[in-house]
Amino acid sequence: MSLPAVDVLSQFLAQQPEPVQRVVDTVTTGEAIAFWVLGPLALAGALGMLFARNAVHSALWLVVTMLSLGVLYMIQQAPFLGFVQIIVYTGAIMMLFLFVLMMVGRDSSDSVVEVIRGQRLAAALLGIGFAVLMVGSVGRALTSVQSKGLAEANTTNGGNVGNIGTKLFTDYLFAFELTSALLITAALGAMILAFVGRDGKPARKTQKELVEERFQEGKRVGSIPGPGVFATANSVATPALLPDGSVSEESLFEVIEATDSSTLSDDLAEVAGTGHQPDSHALKGSES
Amino acid sequence: MNLLVAQAQQIEAPQIDYGAIAPLLVVLGAACMSVLLEALLPKHQRWAVQLVLTLGTLVGATGALIFYATSERPAQGVATLAGAIAVDSPSLFLWATLLVLAFGSVLLIADRSVEPGGAFVAQAAIRPGTIQDRAQATKTGMQTEVFPLTLFALGGMMTFVASNDLLTMFVALEVLSLPLYLMCGLARRRRLLSQEAAVKYFLLGAFASAFFLYGVALLYGYAGSVKLSAIATAAAGTDRSDTLLFAGFGLLVVGLLFKAAVGPFHSWTPDVYQGAPTPVTAFMAACTKVAAFGGILRVLTVAFENTQWEWRGVLYGVAVVSMVIGAVLGLTQTDVKRMIAYSSVAHAGFLLIGSIALTPEGTAPGVSATLFYLLAYGFTTIAAFGIVSLVRNSDGEATHLSQWAGLAKRSPIVAGVFTFLLLALAGIPLTSGFIGKFVVFSAAIEAGLAPLVVIALVASAVAAFFYLRVIVLMYFSEPAPDGPTVTVPGAFTTIAITLGAVVTLVLGLWPTFVLDWAGTGTFLS
Amino acid sequence: MTEPVAASGIASLAWLLLALPAFGAAVLLVGGKRTDKWGHLLGCATILGAFGYGLALFFSTLGLSPEERVQNVHLFNWIDVNALTVEFGLRIDPLSLTFVLLITGVGSLIHIYSIGYMAHEEGRRKFFAYLNLFVAAMLLLVLGNGFVTLYFGWEGVGLASYLLIGWYQYKPEAASAAKKAFLMNRVGDLGLAIAIFLMFNKLGTTQYTEVFSRVSEFSSAEVLAITLLLLLGACGKSGQFPLQAWLPDAMAGPTPVSALIHAATMVTAGVYLIARSNPLYNLSEDGRLVVMIIGGVTLLIGCIIGCAYDDFKKVLAYSTVSQIGYMILAVGLGPIGYALGIMHLLTHGFFKAGLFLGAGSVMHGMNDEGNIRRMGGLYKFLPITFVTWTLGYLALIGIPPFAGYFSKDAIIAAAFTGEGWRPWVFGGVALLGAALTAFYMTRLLILVFLGQPRWKDLKSEDGRDYHPHESPLSMTVPMIILAVGSVGGGWFLSSGGRLAGWLEPSLGELKEEHGVISHGMVGILTVVLAVVGAGLAFLLFGRGKQPVERPARVSFPVRAARADLYGNALNEALFARPGTWLTRALVFLDLKGVDGLVNGTAALLGGSSGRLRRLQTGFVRSYALSMLLGSIFVLGALLVVRFS
Repeated sequence: MSLPAVDVLSQFLAQQPEPVQRVVDTVTTGEAIAFWVLGPLALAGALGMLFARNAVHSALWLVVTMLSLGVLYMIQQAPFLGFVQIIVYTGAIMMLFLFVLMMVGRDSSDSVVEVIRGQRLAAALLGIGFAVLMVGSVGRALTSVQSKGLAEANTTNGGNVGNIGTKLFTDYLFAFELTSALLITAALGAMILAFVGRDGKPARKTQKELVEERFQEGKRVGSIPGPGVFATANSVATPALLPDGSVSEESLFEVIEATDSSTLSDDLAEVAGTGHQPDSHALKGSES
Repeated sequence: MNLLVAQAQQIEAPQIDYGAIAPLLVVLGAACMSVLLEALLPKHQRWAVQLVLTLGTLVGATGALIFYATSERPAQGVATLAGAIAVDSPSLFLWATLLVLAFGSVLLIADRSVEPGGAFVAQAAIRPGTIQDRAQATKTGMQTEVFPLTLFALGGMMTFVASNDLLTMFVALEVLSLPLYLMCGLARRRRLLSQEAAVKYFLLGAFASAFFLYGVALLYGYAGSVKLSAIATAAAGTDRSDTLLFAGFGLLVVGLLFKAAVGPFHSWTPDVYQGAPTPVTAFMAACTKVAAFGGILRVLTVAFENTQWEWRGVLYGVAVVSMVIGAVLGLTQTDVKRMIAYSSVAHAGFLLIGSIALTPEGTAPGVSATLFYLLAYGFTTIAAFGIVSLVRNSDGEATHLSQWAGLAKRSPIVAGVFTFLLLALAGIPLTSGFIGKFVVFSAAIEAGLAPLVVIALVASAVAAFFYLRVIVLMYFSEPAPDGPTVTVPGAFTTIAITLGAVVTLVLGLWPTFVLDWAGTGTFLS
Repeated sequence: MTEPVAASGIASLAWLLLALPAFGAAVLLVGGKRTDKWGHLLGCATILGAFGYGLALFFSTLGLSPEERVQNVHLFNWIDVNALTVEFGLRIDPLSLTFVLLITGVGSLIHIYSIGYMAHEEGRRKFFAYLNLFVAAMLLLVLGNGFVTLYFGWEGVGLASYLLIGWYQYKPEAASAAKKAFLMNRVGDLGLAIAIFLMFNKLGTTQYTEVFSRVSEFSSAEVLAITLLLLLGACGKSGQFPLQAWLPDAMAGPTPVSALIHAATMVTAGVYLIARSNPLYNLSEDGRLVVMIIGGVTLLIGCIIGCAYDDFKKVLAYSTVSQIGYMILAVGLGPIGYALGIMHLLTHGFFKAGLFLGAGSVMHGMNDEGNIRRMGGLYKFLPITFVTWTLGYLALIGIPPFAGYFSKDAIIAAAFTGEGWRPWVFGGVALLGAALTAFYMTRLLILVFLGQPRWKDLKSEDGRDYHPHESPLSMTVPMIILAVGSVGGGWFLSSGGRLAGWLEPSLGELKEEHGVISHGMVGILTVVLAVVGAGLAFLLFGRGKQPVERPARVSFPVRAARADLYGNALNEALFARPGTWLTRALVFLDLKGVDGLVNGTAALLGGSSGRLRRLQTGFVRSYALSMLLGSIFVLGALLVVRFS
């Protein structure tokens, strides 16, 4: 069976890039210019990331480096890698970094005071020493390396992406599969380090459970009466009166009950009306 | 449709020898299964099920290994999965070593009798020192994720020793490291110390991985391939600039030496050994060392054998530095776990001697000797850490040496076994440690490394001093009045310690069987 | 050298010699408290069994012709892979049989003696287990048919000796003595190990038969190196200069141990090693000269220090040091001395074990007092001990016809052979040693058994009065037997060259050379000098009252002798100090070492884990730095190699 749509699709999928007809080993002027622009930029980004005090700035510097590298890959005939670099690293991972930084608080930063004597000097010297060693030796050696060139890989057998796919499922099948173990471990680790199960926290009950519990315990269901409000006093210590004129015990605050009565004598006198002439409706607390 | 079929290039799937890699697949598959169980099972069932699964996996993988090893197989080994994995005699030996050592370690990890609830924290996410943390300290649960993590680490190690190209090796390195970083931080007691150890190990491990990767990149630049055999072929030709080769080799080897805790790349070892939960320390000390030296042996003998005259002197120096650092700094330690850590640095030096014992004729007498040494050392170490976990006071393990004073009076059996293990580490005859040193040094002499052997003998004599110090302390000192107690271990720890001690003794008396087996074949090149 | 033949008949059961004591040790160690009641008997029985078997083996070997007397018992291959084969087997020859008889014979006597001596000890069973272990290891040492087997036994006796020196765990000096012994022995073991690896490197084997038949393959420098390294091993085990300091300290162990291990058997392993390696030493004149120098120096050191000590057992220990010096001197003489060294070893084994057992008997009766200034006049109270001890004493100082005269006189006479300065120096030293030996031994005799009973008004350290008494039968009988050996042993072994002839298959023919002084003259000189030494001691110590406290104001030689002739200071300066400096330097270089030290200190001061943490955090960047430094070195070195 041969549907026209499928044909179109299959033609689209199967299209081959035009063969590039140029000598692989030469570096064009444009490529050289791009390298000399992007290279220092990538380096500056890396250094900026190291020396920026603010974590967000650091992350942004890193973005510069990654973008530069991504573009460099594209120039060097590795478009897939370049785009992945930008989409995955710059797009996804770095944005995640920034989210986390924002969540932690962009102002929070570690102390940068160096307490080990000579550490910075030694680190700088050794770092520079290492760089000199590598650049000095490898830099010289790289001139004699036969570059491989991607022209062939980019034009045959499905082009750049197709060839990467082929490699992943043939030569590097096991490494590729093994990466899944790495990812599972990482997910597991994140769970272990960040997830607190419920039994780790003090038990939090639902509203329903709380209500049922309260009824079962036979506690008072409604709210406790507030203090009495009279023209003579507005203290919270003033007891509320029941309809029969007696004091509602429930309205008495335990704290005030427990307070030494001498400190409250004035209030008591006022409320009890002993400071004034008593009228026929004398207020009398049952105690105190 | 026909067009689609016609256009889509049929790629040829790589050949897979399932029989050969069955042990590896069993371990990795069970690790995934174990993660699923973690998600599906209710909490109270997890420990038992995970333990059964893990031990079953180890037994099953060993069974598959034995089945394959005894069946008809090519004598020089097979490279399967498009040449990514080489299953040859050393691979099989290392796999078996890793599996049996992991068996001992898992028993220690699973133990819940020595420390109620096990050596692992119930909820790693709870911050140390908070109210919730104090509350969970009284509970007996444990983070059962250590079982899948152990299996993943083991799978990584098994891949690492068998990987035939540097890329697979790098991924395997990460697969074995990442679970270990996590497991280091899961101690139930002294959690800050444990988490600090994990962070240190992670940071320095990442640093070392960067070196490794840089080295791989340079070697790819040199050989145009990451396959070990391709590097060897490229190194045999002379028309390329071998600066790349040696710079790449140097960086690669730094990454490997870090994992093997060889001085001067050992600096993480004491802190991490001390901070990590003791069963994890045992696992790391035994299995990681096996994996790292397995990798070193393969890389050195397969990829860089032709260029040995250039690099041998350098690793010679590294071995000397490692032995001296381990032996001398071990003398100043006051913590048992740190002391064993420095002893492992010294042992790494001895192992490195075996690893670089290649002869000009292209034979590698050191390979079988080093394999034997790894097996012997692994068992001794697991048993030693098992003992360390038994000596406890109210704060958990009592690892300070002053607390071990007079231990023999409290618990003569524990002190006796520990003495035997220390003597094995010191290399006294009738223990596997002696035979290990003997075969490694003999191989080194055969390969013309006599001065190195003299230095190694001096270093092992110096190292004997600090083992002896512990023995003297245990037997000839008065026990402190508020000293630690010796916990009566449960079945798991008892089995692990007994296994380690018995193997140490048996390999000291009848090493021939294992030596024969270690020497049956060479690396596939 | 006689080539070995495969063992047959009774000799093929030679593994029994090792198995019996090892079995005893295993039962006693595994059996635990259940064996308390009969454990000591089992220990004695296994050793006696081994002795009985040894005797049978000896007589059956005597019945063979000299060519058949070297037999090889192949047991199994210890290691057998590709290029590496280490055979585990036993070599039955006159030399090893001589040692077997000495070890099991003296061992049996001392085991029996220990039943009485250790009767009040709580862990007597464990003591017998260790003794059995020692005997098994010592037999392995002398019976092994290769250097690796010898090394196993060598380490085994070191371990057993370590356990037994530290027997009185509660005494700090016992613990430190045990440690010192172990460590100094390690230095010696190192020499032995390196020598073994050198042989292995050259010949690919370490079996005696092969090594000795192929000695010609070594270059002269290699032979010299191997002989010197073997000598280092011998020095460590036998307490020879400069590793002599551990032996006197080792007297902190129980007296039977001092008698068996640190007088009769283990410390003579060095002499055995050199005698066994005679084909190697025969090739190296220079190597033998160094052996003789070491022997001579040790001989004098032992005598001089022995004169100054007041501890009964330590004087005897230094006497052992000096007597082994004689043996080393003898085997250093080469073919004219090997058999003489072994003969002195045997007679010394008898009389020195007897002297030690006598000392133990005295201490047993004197509340474990070891200070000879607190003794005196004991002959009345311990008559048997006195008589046996005196016989041993006469043997040691070389009065004819006692055992020591025959063996020591022969060595001194042999030392006077050769050309140039050598006979005069070595002979003179040996003669001087004989005089000094007589001096300090007589001093010991007078201060302990004769003179005033100075202990009457004193109390021992634990506050008891002294009630000296004779020891039980189980202790006196072994002493009597050993005394018989010290009386007649020398004559028996030397008459008609009996021992030398017997040992010929192992050591080669005993050559006789005429010395610069005639043999008879030497004999007379020796006796005269011994009498002069003894007389001098009588003059100095025999008259008047000896002070109980040792005089503090003494001349320099005595001070030096009391300080072990600064042997400890020398060791300190040569080994301990540089070791400390190296450690400090490395610690300084390695931040983590400092970390560890500080941690330790902090923990000692009761620092909390929080404090530990604060000290540790922040160092991770130092760790990274040290790794970076290491990588730079590795990388730099590789590139230097590449471009050079």
